[in-house]
Amino acid sequence: MKKAFLTVFSILAVLCFAGIGHSADVKKGIHVGDAGAFTGDAAAPCMEIFNSAQIAVDEWNAKGGIQGVKIEHIMGDDAMDPAQGMNVAHKFVADELMYGVIGPPMSHVAQATLKIYGDADLATITTAASKPELTEQGYKHFFRVNARNDAHGWNCALFMKKQLNAKRVAVLNEKVAYCENMATQTIAGLKKLGITDIMQETIVGGAKDYSAVLTKVKAFKPDVLFFIATTAPDQAIGVRQAKELGIDAIFFGTEGARDKKDFIQASEGAAEGAYVYHFGPDIYAIPAAAGYVKKYESTYGVLSGFGPPAYEAMNILLTAIDQAASDGDISRKEVVEKLHQIKNYEGILGFPVTFDEKGDLLGSATYFFKVVGNDFQQVAVMTGK
Amino acid sequence: MSYAGTMDIYLQQLPQQLVNGLTLGGVYALIAIGYTMVYGILGMLNFAHGEIYMIGGFTGWWVLHLLTRNNEVIMNAVLVISLMIIIAMAFSGLVGMLTERVAYRPLRNAPRINLLLSALGVSIFLQNLVLNYQGAKVRSFHISSLIPESLRVIQIGPAVFSFMRVLVIVVTFLLMALLALMIKKTKVGKAMRATAQDIEAATFMGIDVDRIVVLVFLIGSALGGAAGTLVGLLFTQVDYYVGFQAGLKGFTAAVLGGIGNIYGAMLGGILLGVAESLAVTFLPSAYKDVVAFVILITVLIARPWGLMGEKIPEKV
Repeated sequence: MKKAFLTVFSILAVLCFAGIGHSADVKKGIHVGDAGAFTGDAAAPCMEIFNSAQIAVDEWNAKGGIQGVKIEHIMGDDAMDPAQGMNVAHKFVADELMYGVIGPPMSHVAQATLKIYGDADLATITTAASKPELTEQGYKHFFRVNARNDAHGWNCALFMKKQLNAKRVAVLNEKVAYCENMATQTIAGLKKLGITDIMQETIVGGAKDYSAVLTKVKAFKPDVLFFIATTAPDQAIGVRQAKELGIDAIFFGTEGARDKKDFIQASEGAAEGAYVYHFGPDIYAIPAAAGYVKKYESTYGVLSGFGPPAYEAMNILLTAIDQAASDGDISRKEVVEKLHQIKNYEGILGFPVTFDEKGDLLGSATYFFKVVGNDFQQVAVMTGK
Repeated sequence: MSYAGTMDIYLQQLPQQLVNGLTLGGVYALIAIGYTMVYGILGMLNFAHGEIYMIGGFTGWWVLHLLTRNNEVIMNAVLVISLMIIIAMAFSGLVGMLTERVAYRPLRNAPRINLLLSALGVSIFLQNLVLNYQGAKVRSFHISSLIPESLRVIQIGPAVFSFMRVLVIVVTFLLMALLALMIKKTKVGKAMRATAQDIEAATFMGIDVDRIVVLVFLIGSALGGAAGTLVGLLFTQVDYYVGFQAGLKGFTAAVLGGIGNIYGAMLGGILLGVAESLAVTFLPSAYKDVVAFVILITVLIARPWGLMGEKIPEKV
């Protein structure tokens, strides 16, 4: 009886808070959320996302906030777990003053929470979730400032063919949505380019031992090993164990590997000469980013590459909220509309940001880096050609 | 590719996969021993054992971290590795004893399910304690200064041994041999066997059962801690969450070998490790864990008491 009452009550409470398209006075306050895996294996990149978004919020607040109201930035930790991601989404949706969310950065969490945010018209801008289907389901509230997997997959295939002269490729992917998808898209691209000697195997993230599957890779004798895993620590283990087993293929890692501490330093020399791709360019080479880089690095240490898109995304979100609030009241729907109207936003990423009607970035580039000493050197940019 | 060519690819992997499996299996065995010893005496599944392993890994990391200056260890590498293992064993053993005193002893005469829940609680508590005090970041073991470049990888025939693999295999088997010797030859070992056989009867024979239980937790946890540090040295990483997976595998190994039987745990661990590595050779690697559990289920259907466990008549 008590349980039934509680259930009904909580459903009612959620329904009440979900609020169907009401608009409110800006003066009540403005909250923006940040959903991500702030604990667990991906805590480092996600904290970089949060801290970068915080810098943007602080800058807006220093300028007087929005309509004189200070913006409050709220963290929602999903620990990379879709179920916890849904809790975060419900919490954010229930917060009446919440007008937009940065994240979730993981494709599988973004997928699980898509409907919750969508039903509440709460705008989300992800800075890293690249699974193509996320923007193919008709939702209007979902945006991303990073390229989709199909763009990255094709660009990576091009890079392997043109820059690495690959003829025989081993693809190892972690068994999560983002990695599986990246593998599928890349393999499709490789085949289109005439590379058909491909081996695909899977790994379990966080397992710390990939020597069995790498032994299998060694027997395949590939000239490129494309190692698709979410986090830098897993990539570090991959490159270290590949080297240990005497695999002489070129190691080619994914976005997560662009991390000096957890990839280059953690692999203690094994990563030398390895390649990684990233959705963000070399931020140090962009003059407009210098101020942000200085602010970030003086407080939080070296950037890995996940921060800049988050700083950009938060600025874009706050710009949209600012426009939506210009008449003194604001609704979530208005924020979503304003985001769709963003055209050629010139921020710190080195390319103008415009969203297409699906919420995807118009014109996506993929950046390629080589590990040289204790740093990444940008060696190529691919834009689908 | 021809059939012979395919076979060839499988065959050339085998020696290396055996090495991979043996190292992994040795680690599973060390963890399984902790499960099986506690079960043998108290009849409870100590779910917190995986966390003890994780704490061992962290302890080893801290010892290495404190003995490293500018990426160089400040004393002899052999000494550093020994210190890492010994201190990790001591600390894990201590934590194991504490959990027994605080969370299990008060429930000694309660129904088994209460003990099980208590163990689950200890597991969650320890995991979050480490998360709070050590953070969620993955810690990397900087092992390059421990082993000279020339010794890092040893090629023997078609198989590659890394120095750390050899070390892990040697230390694992040494620890297991020591344990076997202790249980077989010493008076304490005899008392442990007696307590495992019948805890009440052992009390009547003048065995201080409380002391034996404490000792079992100490030894089991110390071995778990050693496994944590060895894995840290081998796979170079530890984080607060590693205990879950390791605990699951250790538990599986213990059941496979016959829970309650120490030699069974050793056999079960090694079998599990080798089976997983070989599975990857012949099947898509996604089936790695499937194969491990199919073996477990098959064994349990044929021999519900495990490979080396004893068939105990149901007490009424």
